[in-house]
Amino acid sequence: MRAARAQAGSLRFELDGGALALLEPSHDVPLVTLVLALRSGSAADPAEKAGLSRIAARMLRRGCEGLVAEQIDFRIDALGAEMAVETSPSTVAIHAQVIARNLDALVDLLARMISAPTFPEEELGRLKRETVSEIIEARDNDRVIAQKAMQRSLFAGHPYGLNAGGTTQTVPRIDRSDVIAFFRRHVVSGNLVVAFAGDVVPDRVPALAARLLAGVPRGSAATQDVPEPTMVSGRRLLLVDKPERTQTQILIGTLGTSPSDDDHVPLLVANAIFGGTFTSRLMKEIRSKRGWSYGASARAGIDRRRQAWILWTFPAAQDAGPCLKLSIELLEQWAAAGVTGREVSFIQRYLARSHAFDVDTATKRMHQTLDVDLLALPPDYFSGWVKHVGSVTAESASAAVKNRIDVDRLLAVVVGTATEVLEPLRSAVPSVSEVVVVPFDAE
Amino acid sequence: MPSDKQRRAWAEELNGSATCDGSRLAYDGPHAFGSEVLHRWRLGNGLTVLVLVDPVAPVVAYHTWYSVGSRHERPGKTGLAHLFEHLMFGETEHLGAGVFDRKLEESGAETNAATWVDWTYYHELLPADRVKLAVKLEAERMHRLILREPQVASEKEVVANERRFRVDDDVEGLANELLYKTAFREHPYRWPTIGWMQDIQGFTPEDCVAFYRTYYAPNNATVVVVGDVQERSLLSAMRDAYGTIPDQPIPPEDIVPEPTQTEERQIELHKPSASEKLLVAFKGPSLGDQDHALLTVLSEVLFGGRASRLYRSLVVDRELAIDVRGWVSTFRDPGLFECWVTARESRTAAEILPVLDEALSRVRADVVGEDELARAKARLELGSLQQLETASGKAEQIGFFEIVLGEPAHPFRRVDSLRRATVADLRRVARRYLVREARTVLRVIPERPTAEAAQ
Repeated sequence: MRAARAQAGSLRFELDGGALALLEPSHDVPLVTLVLALRSGSAADPAEKAGLSRIAARMLRRGCEGLVAEQIDFRIDALGAEMAVETSPSTVAIHAQVIARNLDALVDLLARMISAPTFPEEELGRLKRETVSEIIEARDNDRVIAQKAMQRSLFAGHPYGLNAGGTTQTVPRIDRSDVIAFFRRHVVSGNLVVAFAGDVVPDRVPALAARLLAGVPRGSAATQDVPEPTMVSGRRLLLVDKPERTQTQILIGTLGTSPSDDDHVPLLVANAIFGGTFTSRLMKEIRSKRGWSYGASARAGIDRRRQAWILWTFPAAQDAGPCLKLSIELLEQWAAAGVTGREVSFIQRYLARSHAFDVDTATKRMHQTLDVDLLALPPDYFSGWVKHVGSVTAESASAAVKNRIDVDRLLAVVVGTATEVLEPLRSAVPSVSEVVVVPFDAE
Repeated sequence: MPSDKQRRAWAEELNGSATCDGSRLAYDGPHAFGSEVLHRWRLGNGLTVLVLVDPVAPVVAYHTWYSVGSRHERPGKTGLAHLFEHLMFGETEHLGAGVFDRKLEESGAETNAATWVDWTYYHELLPADRVKLAVKLEAERMHRLILREPQVASEKEVVANERRFRVDDDVEGLANELLYKTAFREHPYRWPTIGWMQDIQGFTPEDCVAFYRTYYAPNNATVVVVGDVQERSLLSAMRDAYGTIPDQPIPPEDIVPEPTQTEERQIELHKPSASEKLLVAFKGPSLGDQDHALLTVLSEVLFGGRASRLYRSLVVDRELAIDVRGWVSTFRDPGLFECWVTARESRTAAEILPVLDEALSRVRADVVGEDELARAKARLELGSLQQLETASGKAEQIGFFEIVLGEPAHPFRRVDSLRRATVADLRRVARRYLVREARTVLRVIPERPTAEAAQ
């Protein structure tokens, strides 16, 4: 094992078997964050069994040699710890936080859970029923409904379009052999990254990581060959019909950039001008001038391939048509005319100075280092952020918008009550190529 | 670190150049805040300043807490305190519309605000070398806000949309509003902090000016600064920025205490929803009551984590629910002990209530296990530490406990109280508060099943 300072600042330990350990120490609060992440994620789930990777990771708490699910839950709570599973297309991770004095006990418990899981059939059945209920319950949240509809429609046919949490159809299809096969393929030394942040001294990390991974089989990283997504041509409107909505959730999406693209940072800078701050163009026009929505923003996601660029706002039902129309006009203006030098200078100062809050806790710094590894980001993606932002010009930012944000390939997703908003929305999208209405519990 | 004597010398030195009584600075002494020390200062105009120098990161959290919340409103004018959370980002005598936010953004700062029943606070998180910008801007809007028809009209519309987002189209938000409306009949906790829609739409600039002149004053505010700051330089800037703002007479509170509830109240809410929900709320203690910490521990035994009694019973064993939550409201006056249960899609609140009742009866009848108590304490300790991870987290804790209880270091006293809790304490508070006659039961009934909606 050897330790070296990683690009983003965390200490890095290469472990036997190809696993990687990271540490971002901080002794201000007696807490430790521990992340155990796979270098593969939900993009590897079979489409007909979407949700498999998440179910498999959640099954860790449902039994291991010598401990049943209830005993594991009792131990986690008794340690003053929290443990949760997070899933994305490129990674599945167990996130834990624990009172520092109980770190050893948590590591030993987690080591048992990952080295000798029992995957009891009864617990799998219970977890699947629980998951289906959670999916149904999430239909109470209109924003979540809109996000799911955007993801599956924008990336239809692509692994990014799979719902990492699964659907009410796919989750029941997952059986014990799927979970075991997932573990055999993905939970191997070369596919694991373990990261610590907080009240741990560097000398302890190699031994802690070795204990944690002692029972994990050797193996190389699972290859995950995700193709580059493509965007359907035309301007499509997808209305998710839900009764009695006084408000609508509006998302407008298209593809953004990949982190390794030359115009990635210029696009992020331009996006911050358009919809990344409280005084952005979107907020000024939609909230400040017209009071149509409590919020209006735009965000470019990052992953190993081009992720989505999405505009979000949520006006009252009676303002939905005009607000969608204005949003598209603003988008067209942005793509056609780009951004000004003055806007770029302003946002560069904001992005450079606010960088302090991206790195003000050990956990945030650790996550940056993790992301570099798990998402295959350029090594200086975060550590060189201020420099990269500083080198963007109005010309490069404008070119990034023009080249990447294709206003003729847009998908507008709206959650609202169709009888009230369908016609105003339809007429709000110039040259609309397709209008589809689906019920809010469609999957 | 400077000594208390040096701090007093700073005050004397600064007061040598004071231009008015309001700008005279007094050092009121230190408060132990865990292993750190918090220092209390006061300006002649009544402004309280709490400073915690924390050099762990080159950032500073600047929080301005006003002792005004929805409890200070009156029927017909509900939501006024919250409207200010929006108006305060508007035009002032020296700053045009939008300039407040742009100046902060240009400095890389994050800013926002929050309002609840007892308080309103405004917060900035800045790179440490920009703290004086927050001083200048917060002092400006404390006294020089412009409240005319265009500003008020625009923000009313934004707040109406916020209400649609958080309440009208959110079944949990709506249920919570109805719960407090039903549980309280006299106390202002009965109306929502965001306000009733008709009240929001009816505000006039005159309402806003009157509210501003009444409650936005240095003697009704506490500024909390946590971060990598030079304390003396900060105080000098604050003295200069705030010192000339006059204090105002703050009207005595005119609040009718909530009468004792003597019979169970039941109510149903019919809305489009994925599942039934059950809310059972008992009248609880105020935040300052020593029982508050004990009831919080009991809530954790019942609802906190996957090992808690009701999680195991309702979610795992019987598979009746998908989520359980317990919360003791952290209000200045007695609030509620809320028990929330979200039923699974095919199960009902009617099936869940007897199970909940049985669990509550058991904690009244018998002491809980020592292992359960230990787990609850461990989880609460974790939660307490998580709140102290960042400068903003510390500032929020300090400001909240100062404005509600007048004790900025209360989080640490509270942790001590939690540690001392015994199984007998929990049974005592269960018997005192989990009283059927003093509870409100609300059921959310889905208006139509999901399958129907799909057609």
